[in-house]
Amino acid sequence: MAAVPIVRVRDLFKIYRQGDLDVVALNGVSIDIEPREFVVLMGPSGSGKSTLLHIVAGIDRATRGAVSVQGIDVAALNESQLADWRNQNVGFVFQTFNLIPVLTARENVELPLLLTRMRGDERRRQVETALRLVGLDDRMHHRPDQLSGGQQQRVAIARALVTDPALIVADEPTGNLDAKSAADVLSILRILARDSGKTVIMVTHDPKAAAYGTRSLHLEKGEIVA
Amino acid sequence: MNLLGFIARNALRNRRRVLLTVSSVAVSCGVLVTLQTLQRELTVPPESEGASLRVIARNKVSIAQPLPARQLAVIERIPGIVAVSPFTFFGGLYADEKATGFAQFGIDPERFRGIMVEGRIVAGDYEGFVADRNGCMVGSDTVERYKLKVGDHMRFTGTFYPVDLDLRISAVFKGTVDDRGVFFHHKLLDAATDGGGTVGTWYMRVESAGVAPRVIAAVDKAFENSSAEVRTETERAFQMGFMSMLGDVKALTLSVSSVVVFTLMLVTMSTMSMAIRERFRELAVLKALGFRRRELFSFILAESFGLSFAGAVLGIAGTWLFWSSINLQKLTAGFLIYFEVTPRIMAMAGVVAALLGIVSAIAPAVAVARMSVVDGLKTID
Ligand SMILES: Nc1ncnc2c1ncn2[C@@H]1O[C@H](COP(=O)(O)OP(=O)(O)OP(=O)(O)O)[C@@H](O)[C@H]1O
Ligand SMILES: [Mg+2]
Repeated sequence: MAAVPIVRVRDLFKIYRQGDLDVVALNGVSIDIEPREFVVLMGPSGSGKSTLLHIVAGIDRATRGAVSVQGIDVAALNESQLADWRNQNVGFVFQTFNLIPVLTARENVELPLLLTRMRGDERRRQVETALRLVGLDDRMHHRPDQLSGGQQQRVAIARALVTDPALIVADEPTGNLDAKSAADVLSILRILARDSGKTVIMVTHDPKAAAYGTRSLHLEKGEIVA
Repeated sequence: MNLLGFIARNALRNRRRVLLTVSSVAVSCGVLVTLQTLQRELTVPPESEGASLRVIARNKVSIAQPLPARQLAVIERIPGIVAVSPFTFFGGLYADEKATGFAQFGIDPERFRGIMVEGRIVAGDYEGFVADRNGCMVGSDTVERYKLKVGDHMRFTGTFYPVDLDLRISAVFKGTVDDRGVFFHHKLLDAATDGGGTVGTWYMRVESAGVAPRVIAAVDKAFENSSAEVRTETERAFQMGFMSMLGDVKALTLSVSSVVVFTLMLVTMSTMSMAIRERFRELAVLKALGFRRRELFSFILAESFGLSFAGAVLGIAGTWLFWSSINLQKLTAGFLIYFEVTPRIMAMAGVVAALLGIVSAIAPAVAVARMSVVDGLKTID
């Protein structure tokens, strides 16, 4: 029995105009991703992996084609609706961690919750749960510069899951990490998909990282090849 | 942490920048407040109802030349004049001061009654002043400044006049445009100068503002071709004439103030745009996390406003403290007695700084609103 797809991409095009030249970043991509899948996007540099991820996560817009997430037509939302939608439904993990340097681990994780109506004590509980999940509840009061790269990325994952979104997107999350830290981060992502019911889409160049996923998709020149 | 805490943390993240911004806003506000106060002190106090009804006649040659006392009889007969009194600047030094910051005038108390109408007696009584030949009437500011009370003596050493005065306070007045002066019986001067015969100026009150021009012309005309020709003008014109000696203070302070404000604007604008450019990528991350334009806009606005406001509060309060603690009279040898930083001036400087804070937030805020998350994330920090 096929589950209802959580992410549905149909005939997606992204074309950048550069002077007289059209750069086709996505050339008619169609995919379905089901809940609890851990999808790994692979492909050569410039093949459109990040572009696809950005459009699905609602931080970029397609030139043509349809994207729906949990049945919501993302392209139809205006800027402010899209921001709210991202806050509630998408968690982001970036290659370069992107934590706010002046905030402690706990405060970084709390950030997305500041946009919700959640009360202070409830936020705190939520933050602590997320940090415990990534194994950093003993580093709550450390600032990013007092944490290793792997720890920073785990804080970033805690930040991505603290609002309990259905979808977590990660663009080369292990690209800046050593093998041990990378393995920690990948294990956490796998647990999130397998045990916490999240759907994870991860871009990676690393075949070892790809082994953590439940499915791999290959992009080449803006098209899915496998 | 809440949103305000987050804004504060961001605003304070670069200590050196905060220090520089806050202190440049503070210094500029201090300069602004000082300039505006200076201008206010040097320009004529606000025109009072009474000032337009008062007319002063002085020697046409120079204000330092006395006028013959016998002119009184002529002036009194000019229609439209309600009251006239001699009004002679004594210019004495109070107690053992080297410079005294309030003026003393010899007047005729009986006649003067009808001239200074807007003041009121707040201690002692006017009749006591009239009755006591050595009595004086003192402005409430001076009384407060020197902690005096009715019955106390005030001793003055003459500078122009070869006489020292020992006056006893009969009355204290308040509510004129300048509550500093000391008024005493002109008789004391007459006695000191061979039984009198001269006065400094004539101080008159006319029936209405409408007749003032006619009265002025009539007084001037009455002494035309006499040994002591007079120049008559309203009290306001008289003060303005005094002012012209100081040059165009208003234009000067205005232009310097504009330069200060303009420079301050450049400082706050470049600081803010630098602060935001440094954080472009972080702001893109915030956008990705679901922060909307209006939230980012208010972060930037709050930060810019907060820094300017902090600078303004420091600068204005500091300036106020500074000017109220130093002895300006001593410093300027009596040229400036009061240097009152008024709430109005402080509010003005505060508003200027706050506006600059807001204006400086606009360009960075617009840039952040326009930035796409993807482009913002690509920024290298
Ligand atoms: N703002 C842009 N303007 C023009 N072309 C762009 C822009 N952004 C991306 N592209 C182009 O779109 C294509 C896909 O880019 P994308 O970033 O999705 O690749 P990628 O698969 O993530 O590559 P990498 O593995 O190097 O991260 C590339 O050819 C790139 O040059
Ligand atoms: Mg990429």
